[in-house]
Amino acid sequence: MAEALEAIKALATGFATTFKHLFRKPITEEYPEFKRTLPERTRARIILTRDPDGGERCVACYLCSAVCPVSCISMQSAEKEDGRRYATWFRINFARCIYCGLCEEACPTSAIQLTAMFETCERDILTLVYEKEDLLVDHGGKDKEYNFYKYAGVVTQEGGKGEHIKEDKPVNVKSNLP
Amino acid sequence: MDWIIGIIVLIVKLGLVLVGLLLLAAYLVWVERKFLARLQIRYGPNRAGKFGLLQPIADALKLMVKEDTVPEAADRILFLLAPAVVATSALLMFAVVPFGSHLTLWGKKIPLVITDLNVGLLYVFALSSLGVYGVALGGWASNSKYSLLGGIRGAAQMISYELALGLSLVPIVMHAGSFSIVDIVNAQAKYPFILLQPFAFVIFIVSAMAESKRIPFDLPEAENELGAGYHTEYSGMRFGLFFLGEYVHMQVLGAFVAVFFLGGWRGPLLPAPVWLFIKIILVALIMIWIRGTLPRLRYDQLMAVGWKVLIPAALLNIMVTGAILLI
Amino acid sequence: MSKLIIDDREIEVSPGTKVIEAAAQLGIMIPRFCYHPALGSVGACRVCAVKFIQGPFKGVQMSCMIDAQDGMVVSTTDEDVADFRRHVIEWLMLHHPHDCPVCDEGGHCLLQDMTVSGGHGIRRYLGKKRTYTDQFLGPLLQHEMNRCIHCYRCSRFYQEYSGYRDLGAMQSANRTYFGRFTDGILESPFSGNLSDICPTGVYTDKPSRYFGRRWDYQRSPSLCINCSLGCHTVASIKYREVKRQEARFSEPVNGYFICDRGRYGFFYSSLESRPRMARINGKQCTFNQAQHAMIEKLEEIKKNSGSAAIAAVGSLRSSLETLVMLAQLCQTKRWRDPACFIDSSQVQNVKTAISRLEPQLRVSLRDIERADFILAVGADPINEAPMLALAMRQAQRNGATIVVIDPRPVSLPFPFLYLPAAPMALSAYLGSLIKAVVNRGTADKMGDGARKFYDRIPEGKKLAEAQPPLSSEMLQSLQQSRRPIIVCGTEILSETVLSLSADFALLLQAAEKQAGLFYLMPGANAFAGGILSGEKDSFLQIIEQIEDGSIRALISVEADPFWWFDDRPRLERALDKIDLLVVLDYLDSQAAQRANIFIPTATFYESGGMLINQEGRVQVAPRALLGGIPISQAGGGDHPPRLYDVGIAGFDPKAAWLTLADLANGAAQEDEKALQQHLWKQISDLIPQLATFSSIDEIPQEGIVCSCGVNIDSRFSINWSAASNIRHDSGDDFDLIEVDWTFGTEELSSLSPCLWKLERKPCLVMHSGRAEIIGLTDVDLVEISTETGSLEAELRTADNMAPGILVLPRHRKLAWQIFTPGKIRIRKDQIRKKQ
Repeated sequence: MAEALEAIKALATGFATTFKHLFRKPITEEYPEFKRTLPERTRARIILTRDPDGGERCVACYLCSAVCPVSCISMQSAEKEDGRRYATWFRINFARCIYCGLCEEACPTSAIQLTAMFETCERDILTLVYEKEDLLVDHGGKDKEYNFYKYAGVVTQEGGKGEHIKEDKPVNVKSNLP
Repeated sequence: MDWIIGIIVLIVKLGLVLVGLLLLAAYLVWVERKFLARLQIRYGPNRAGKFGLLQPIADALKLMVKEDTVPEAADRILFLLAPAVVATSALLMFAVVPFGSHLTLWGKKIPLVITDLNVGLLYVFALSSLGVYGVALGGWASNSKYSLLGGIRGAAQMISYELALGLSLVPIVMHAGSFSIVDIVNAQAKYPFILLQPFAFVIFIVSAMAESKRIPFDLPEAENELGAGYHTEYSGMRFGLFFLGEYVHMQVLGAFVAVFFLGGWRGPLLPAPVWLFIKIILVALIMIWIRGTLPRLRYDQLMAVGWKVLIPAALLNIMVTGAILLI
Repeated sequence: MSKLIIDDREIEVSPGTKVIEAAAQLGIMIPRFCYHPALGSVGACRVCAVKFIQGPFKGVQMSCMIDAQDGMVVSTTDEDVADFRRHVIEWLMLHHPHDCPVCDEGGHCLLQDMTVSGGHGIRRYLGKKRTYTDQFLGPLLQHEMNRCIHCYRCSRFYQEYSGYRDLGAMQSANRTYFGRFTDGILESPFSGNLSDICPTGVYTDKPSRYFGRRWDYQRSPSLCINCSLGCHTVASIKYREVKRQEARFSEPVNGYFICDRGRYGFFYSSLESRPRMARINGKQCTFNQAQHAMIEKLEEIKKNSGSAAIAAVGSLRSSLETLVMLAQLCQTKRWRDPACFIDSSQVQNVKTAISRLEPQLRVSLRDIERADFILAVGADPINEAPMLALAMRQAQRNGATIVVIDPRPVSLPFPFLYLPAAPMALSAYLGSLIKAVVNRGTADKMGDGARKFYDRIPEGKKLAEAQPPLSSEMLQSLQQSRRPIIVCGTEILSETVLSLSADFALLLQAAEKQAGLFYLMPGANAFAGGILSGEKDSFLQIIEQIEDGSIRALISVEADPFWWFDDRPRLERALDKIDLLVVLDYLDSQAAQRANIFIPTATFYESGGMLINQEGRVQVAPRALLGGIPISQAGGGDHPPRLYDVGIAGFDPKAAWLTLADLANGAAQEDEKALQQHLWKQISDLIPQLATFSSIDEIPQEGIVCSCGVNIDSRFSINWSAASNIRHDSGDDFDLIEVDWTFGTEELSSLSPCLWKLERKPCLVMHSGRAEIIGLTDVDLVEISTETGSLEAELRTADNMAPGILVLPRHRKLAWQIFTPGKIRIRKDQIRKKQ
């Protein structure tokens, strides 16, 4: 009997709660009229950032395209005259992208980053295929400082052999001095 | 000459009821979504038209223009037929519901019911049982595991609750002394049966919700377990027919609750059909409130409630009513 | 045999096997950087450490340095060794730069794999990194010394394995440097292998630099068609083009390595100039239009001049399928038999070689490495089939004596005995060698024929006057050898010498030596061409018949006579005379440009197929890519085209044999499977060894050695009177021999831009004594004029060659096609010094 009372009480509480809700103002944020500021680490539209000196960060190492679970990233790498490796073309198919952020995690140069811009709906699906010029921005995104070529040790305009951060002068192979 | 007028009157009545039912079904969806949203502190549909009033029309249009897919391995004929069975059986049930006493036009008495069967109640049960076929066959013909499970659950659930539903109404028949729905309504001229039979009312409304597969009894659909149960594989207007059937069923049950327990079309001041409409909507709102509050039952709980609680309670109710009537 | 237990599993290995190899046989990959099965152990990297629990050794030891012995119990997963390896990797990584993202090795880098699997995830060393300046090593390899972990694989391969000296270790200790003394192009034609064997990214492939990662390439097994050896390769394809080629291990053929001609000889397949559309009289049209036009025109010619007025030219770079289909087509249509060779002497040479490759005589390239005496007759390994030189180097490293008898100045990256001899004198040389090494009794064992043959060998004394004598050192080592092998070229020799070499090998076998015979052939599929050609079927014969008007139409299947026919004006006149020239090819060859109807075909990468190498080994390469214009060309700019589903551009070309099948059936054939089955039946009828297989897919990877065409009756059947008729060198004129060079003379590889820098400047070579007589010196610009034209080239003089010889490379930069086919003799007044 006590159980039955308990049950009825529980039911009554439930019904009372939902009934009370009827008279509350809805908490819905109505989207196109109201846009909330999203956290910095929101995973949406992808960008290609630049290093503090204005150079393209992307070295077209293919790690993002390799890690992409839906294979929506493709590119072609090549060498610039100064020795920098870069992407001749870089393409992200946002129609296929699932915004998982694995590309950003895989990126060794902080080039590829996800932003909070998520309004990418288009009528023609081909306009969702973004090329490098659509992806490239003129800032460093979340990481303002890093410049890969200052550490990499390969010869570019950022420095020759032994001129990068934490590098000794090149070994002189023709000297016997210690 | 009389029979021609009779047919014309019948056709007009049929047309009015059908249009009324379909419109109501469509807007019942809107009412449900809106009301449910408010129960959950949301707005509900509010984009199509003012307060989202055009939403049902948009939905209907969408369903009609959508591709009608039939799975390759499905049993084609049964698959195409099943939704019609569900919708038709629900619509036909309304034929015996009276929505007023009668109208007098040009000196002719026109009863405000499509047909007054003297076995109206049995007719209702017969059609309600037919609805099981739609569900079970739809589930089976889809040739998909989710659909099949949904269909089986639907059949089992509906057959189980049919019993309680029927038994709960026996005391009403005992009071009214007739199977005719019109007679039952007339028997409530003084007071509605809900006052005489509160237990029967509770049993009926629970069973009715189970019959119409609404939350918390929506095991045949169970989105999170079975996809969408027996209509997983349906699309377009064929899915729409299932949907329609469900909402018409809701109205029919609302109407029967009104007819059996709330005095049917009877009420002060307002015209009879309006009273019936108000009662139907009231029942529907209660059903939505229940939906908004209670979670889905487990399958064993569902069966236990049906067989171990509702049927014994209904039988007991019959015995007690009988005893009182005898004394 | 010694039995040992590695990781709780028992294995029995032959004595001398290292523990690391024993583990490999069990399928356990012990980490390694310096160890390589072909290069052996040096114990430099310390990463293959394992723990010896029982047996003669105890504790942590290097598995590459210890022979597997009875009773050893070894653990590769012990905590001690895992920790040891982790530390070793950390040391190796101390100075390793942070440049994996821009390193082409990343993705298939052994060091990267070991760093990750060894658990060294985060750098602890905070000091400054050692750096090196890099060198320019030529167009094939990119140098990045910072990445070096000092495993010495490169210098071991370069110096010890392949015998070249210009790359090696410098400096000492922590500053050890691998490179050349100064910047410059690497001399070795095997330098591309450095990118394969370097366990990290010090040497990376330059032509495919920054193109893709290993995982993005469609890697397909393939075969090299740049010489007759048929080395196994892996073709790496990305964005519809073959971008890189690596060596694929093959036990009997090339082992772990390939030469640079094979490695970089693939560029023809994705050249922008490669014709992808059919053409009628120079106008582009659809594939079907061209095919209809071809069938119609041939019908017409058949009606007017009879079916014998149609002739076909096959190619030695075509697959076996194409050659068989062509032969069948000619037979059913009653055309002339197809010609795959230039002149009758070339056909006869190849046919002779095939008939003498008896199963007990023929040897694989691998067997050459195990030989203890190699006699190369009329073969210039580095230039004709570079991998042969690498195999001979291994034999030489193991103590074999290498003797080269050749009219050309032959250079090899190892010491060898060289006898300059005019082609005509070669048979006499061999004769006297036989006399010196084999006694009459041994010859007698081989039967009557052999004895008669032995008796008829002219006395060697005749020779001794004019030619350099056979050294006693050479005779001695041949007499003492157990496994002598005779390597014989087919290009500049007469068929007598080829036969004689085989007879010599037979007699050596009779003398209880495991003698072997190894022929080189003039093209990747020359063996198949030889089987399918008749004695007289040559292109020269076709030209003659065009000239007398009996041939009116010519179908050239993947063949470009302009590339190899000696007399270009004559060829042009002949082609002007015929009514129809149909060319099926994947190159934009001169013949293709002249064709009335041109139909593009698929390259060997796109069609796959069978090849028979010079040993008679039938090998199969699967289709490596589907075809189509590479993305880099289709996009026409910065990025590939932005289009929905419109099919693949340039997808028309199909395998030549399919087009030929359409021609045979008079209409395009839909059912490729049925055609394939039909063709397979033809092929297995031709090559009995294949009859046991039901389809091409069943042929094992190492191929099937076939012995079709072997004719035992041709043993010891040399006409000595002709062979010993040595024309005495009058000193007035020269025998011109046309030769191959490693780079620049082979049709396909000379289309590879990255190899152009490696080509030597084309030059004529003459004996310095002779040059002096006619008043020429080294580096003079000379002009040779013949009836048909003149040729200008630099003259180089050499001491180490036969005097009466003028050597002419068939170099792509030299318009050398001014001679009358056959034996070419140049009078000294035809050679003129140009100012």
